[in-house]
Amino acid sequence: MRSVNRTRIIIWTATAIIFWLCSVWPAAADGPVKLNYRLKWLFNTSVAGDIMAVEAGFFERSGLDVTVKEGGPEKNAIKELELGYADFGVASADQVIRALDKGADVVVLAQLFQINPMQWIYRADQHRIEMPEDLRGRHIGVTFGGNDETIMNTLLAMGELTKADVRMSSVRFDFSPFLKRKVEIWPVYRNSQGVILETKLAREGEKVLFLNPAEFGVSFVANSVVTSGKTVKSHPGRVKAFLKALMAAWEYAMDPANEPMVLAEIAKKDKGTEDLIRMKQLDATRELVKPSPRLKIGTIDTDAWRQTETIMLEEKQIKKPVLVHTRLYGFPAE
Amino acid sequence: MLFRRIYQFLIVYAAGVSGLMGIKYGVGLSDYVIPGPELILETAGRVLTTYFFDCINTLSVTILGQLISIFMAFSVGILGRKSTWVGSFIKVMAYNIQAYPIVALAPIIFILLGDGFLSRLLIASMICYFPLLLSVLGIMASPVEDIEHFYKATGRMRWQLEVKIRAFENLSKLTTVIAGSATLAMAGTIVAEFIAADAGIGYSIRIALYQSDLAGILTALFMIGIIISVYQGLLETAGEQVKTKWSAPKGGTLI
Amino acid sequence: MHFECTDLTFTYPGADKPVLDRLSFSMAAPGFNAVFGPSGVGKTSFARLLAGHGTLAEEHCRHEGLSTLLYSYNQERLPGWASTGSHLEKVCPEENTGLKDELIRIFRVESLMDARFSQLSMGQQNRMNLIRYLIQDFDLLILDESLANVDEALRETIILAMKDLFPDRLFLYISHNLMEVARFCRDILILSRGKSGTVVRGLDYTLGYVPDPAGLDRTMLEIMNAV
Repeated sequence: MRSVNRTRIIIWTATAIIFWLCSVWPAAADGPVKLNYRLKWLFNTSVAGDIMAVEAGFFERSGLDVTVKEGGPEKNAIKELELGYADFGVASADQVIRALDKGADVVVLAQLFQINPMQWIYRADQHRIEMPEDLRGRHIGVTFGGNDETIMNTLLAMGELTKADVRMSSVRFDFSPFLKRKVEIWPVYRNSQGVILETKLAREGEKVLFLNPAEFGVSFVANSVVTSGKTVKSHPGRVKAFLKALMAAWEYAMDPANEPMVLAEIAKKDKGTEDLIRMKQLDATRELVKPSPRLKIGTIDTDAWRQTETIMLEEKQIKKPVLVHTRLYGFPAE
Repeated sequence: MLFRRIYQFLIVYAAGVSGLMGIKYGVGLSDYVIPGPELILETAGRVLTTYFFDCINTLSVTILGQLISIFMAFSVGILGRKSTWVGSFIKVMAYNIQAYPIVALAPIIFILLGDGFLSRLLIASMICYFPLLLSVLGIMASPVEDIEHFYKATGRMRWQLEVKIRAFENLSKLTTVIAGSATLAMAGTIVAEFIAADAGIGYSIRIALYQSDLAGILTALFMIGIIISVYQGLLETAGEQVKTKWSAPKGGTLI
Repeated sequence: MHFECTDLTFTYPGADKPVLDRLSFSMAAPGFNAVFGPSGVGKTSFARLLAGHGTLAEEHCRHEGLSTLLYSYNQERLPGWASTGSHLEKVCPEENTGLKDELIRIFRVESLMDARFSQLSMGQQNRMNLIRYLIQDFDLLILDESLANVDEALRETIILAMKDLFPDRLFLYISHNLMEVARFCRDILILSRGKSGTVVRGLDYTLGYVPDPAGLDRTMLEIMNAV
């Protein structure tokens, strides 16, 4: 009786293992390459190119089967690369530099944003900020611990100001302190929250301005496409194919001629935003991703990366230089 | 009780960190994904004092929140103990509201009250209030017939006496629930701080998370574990003392 | 004065058969009477029906002059937060303080006044519980196994003292002790399955009684025949 039971257990276990192996085993070798691509944020207009890479068939035409996964505050593409959950990802420059500081094997393939979308919004009826010194005495919102704090500290340093010269408040997802005028200058992603706030206040008859740190010489790099050094070495062809398809998709998405199709695809994934806002967000994203028609999307601004590293060193965000410029692989030539 | 809580936590924590180290060195992960012992110690040395005071800040909100929820739970539990329509209404309301995840209400609370002390206090109180209320309602609505019969039969029963009898007879349950709710209140406060506050250990964890600083998070978890173990241990010890004091003979012959 | 019930029927919700089926009897009051019968025959149900002041008992039972009914049973407890002496003091009407002290002496619990209830033996607990009922104002006191776990000699002392101290009250003593019931009770209501209730006259011994072995045998036989 006992041996019958044992045999049954062995058969069931073996069947379960076979089923499991079947489900996790890679697809047939001659099929398209299955890849995971982890975004930094949720599906919205600021990832238009990533959405179009799948929906307009750019990846498929390159022989790649890419699953684009939404990001979020708790998601970290670089960690997923190392753990093998993702093959490619989007990470901010501070994430890349921090990872390098802690020994991660990460390389930058393309810089999606030429201008950092992290900016500050303030009302046009208030004193205009034309130089960092104009921040003196102002009530500024920052995400303590976030890269906007690092950028603001750099701006203050450029204006020879200290934290004692301004009033800083911690900010969250809730804009009400700004809307209620409790905080004057509020950090936003220019192409997403910035558009929403600008539109909302315009409806109330209020005009806004944006403080773009890049205008004062603070070029802190934002989102970039990353992968692991190991992937670049072991699958250079795959990396090239992926990047080529992705960048082509971004060019397509940023082309005003394709706007109706692109907006329609975004609308399928970002249902909570109204059409007008999505349209304005796409315009804003275009200005940040492709500020001039001649500039190829994905171009890596090495000087900006160096400056980002320097800022992080000065702000004691990293302990030692990581020589980030040695990890910038750039857009592969045709 | 107190020391047992602390060393139990230390064992669990050490096991957790050892597990992480096993994965780190087994798979060959960088310090960015799982920090090594050296980085953890270096980070701990840097932030331990700050995190200690952050934890104390969180604990102060926790204690206040828990006191409010205990007071509320007993008030409502005593009101809802009768099988009148008011009692039934309170019970039905409590069962239904407790099924709702309070954390989901956090954004509304932060919008209405801002991200200061009041929001943290309210969320902490709400998170530990409902489990407490259900326990208190359960206890207060269950007659202790063997004791209460005499007082009812002789017309001596008053609501204060009824509450006293039921509380005394369920003292162990009540002290366990109150000690257990400390964890809930602490968790509530930390979640509140994590979502939207500008102080406390939850806020520090969020900053560490922004910076992918797992060593900082591990240090914060260590501090939280120690502080909550001490707090729970103290609550349990206090509960034991109340029980001993309330039920111990003041002389007389032991039979 | 009589205590009577006519056609008292009671069925527990969800039960098929009634636990009390057309119970009819009449017994003298006041006095130390008994309810006797095998386990599960409905003695406690009957007692609780009477004490519960339900409409059923009011419709079917007549007990003129017996306005205050109390029911005590052997698993009752005193709260544990204070000593038994303190509890007795709290529930004792001022005019009964002397009676309380006398009962404490007769029930032999003087040394237990400072102890907590949970520290007492079961017999001691039952004695302590009974004292607090006896010092209340009552006309009818139902004693449902209220002297369980008390030794026989002390039980006799207590019963005789109760009869002596409360001659104008009615007691309904629920017990399984045939000899005790036969010796000390006056009217003994016998409950048995399928019968509507028979009342047997007991020996009703009082303080300083002279034993009557032949009469006891006769009474016990009569009770056993009625069961």
